[in-house]
Amino acid sequence: MLSTALRARPVALRNTPVLIRNSSSAHGQETFESFSERYVDFFKNAQDLFEVQRGLNNCFAHDLVPAPAVCEAAIRAARRVDDYATAVRVFEGIKEKVENQKQYQAYLEELKPVREELGIQIKEELYTS
Amino acid sequence: MQALRLARQTTKINPLRVRALATAAPSVGTASGSNSQTTASVIPLSNVEAQWEKMSGDEQLAVHQQLEAIQKKDWKELSIDEKKAAYYVAFGPHGPRAPISPPGSGVKILFGTAAIVVTSSLLYWGLRQMTVSPPKTMTREWQEKSNERAKELKLDPISGISSEGYSGKGFVQSK
Repeated sequence: MLSTALRARPVALRNTPVLIRNSSSAHGQETFESFSERYVDFFKNAQDLFEVQRGLNNCFAHDLVPAPAVCEAAIRAARRVDDYATAVRVFEGIKEKVENQKQYQAYLEELKPVREELGIQIKEELYTS
Repeated sequence: MQALRLARQTTKINPLRVRALATAAPSVGTASGSNSQTTASVIPLSNVEAQWEKMSGDEQLAVHQQLEAIQKKDWKELSIDEKKAAYYVAFGPHGPRAPISPPGSGVKILFGTAAIVVTSSLLYWGLRQMTVSPPKTMTREWQEKSNERAKELKLDPISGISSEGYSGKGFVQSK
């Protein structure tokens, strides 16, 4: 009787939730989708030029290329605060972040409707034509 | 009583002064405003990139205001010069974005470094030509003779040159 009780104790201790320690790797990781959603929301609500540029600095500081939706939201935010240069700068940021020329071209293709709608010329177009 | 009068007088004078200042201030403001407008019309936006560094603060402010007004329009209506000016003023290579070294300095640095390397090797070679010749003992022949002499005199007979089965070089160090 006693021996079974003694034998049972460590098992019971091991199963108590007090002894379970979360490792430090258990922090929540933001997915790419939620990141994009967060920044699209941010740019939709950005009120002034400073906020737009701050948001651009933040979302281009991560180890990823912001999704085209984020870039579009940023460009539209730049249009809302009437700053053409920031809209051009967004494309420069994309060029800096992508891995190769092909990806940059893909981004340009993807964002072509917005560029044509708002009349934005990228830096290369500005300084060659 | 006199003191009170004096105080009243001063209070009478003060509003006048304040009013004079208040009337003077707007005239100054309008004057500077008209100045900035004239400078804004003087500076063509197509030439902002060339002139920006030389402009005074007031002129730069005028250009800023001009561009701000222009960028409020539909961007499709902007001319390429206006777009370039807006981009240059905001993100052009001036101020904190100015390049650290002027263009063409890479070639200069390359040639300068090459010149230094060539000069130092010439100096090394030249100085080597002027030195005295190495001592006569630093020849293979002399050192082999030294070995022979050492074996003759049984130098270091336990572990060295005269020991049994010695396979080292002895005194030979020159080629």
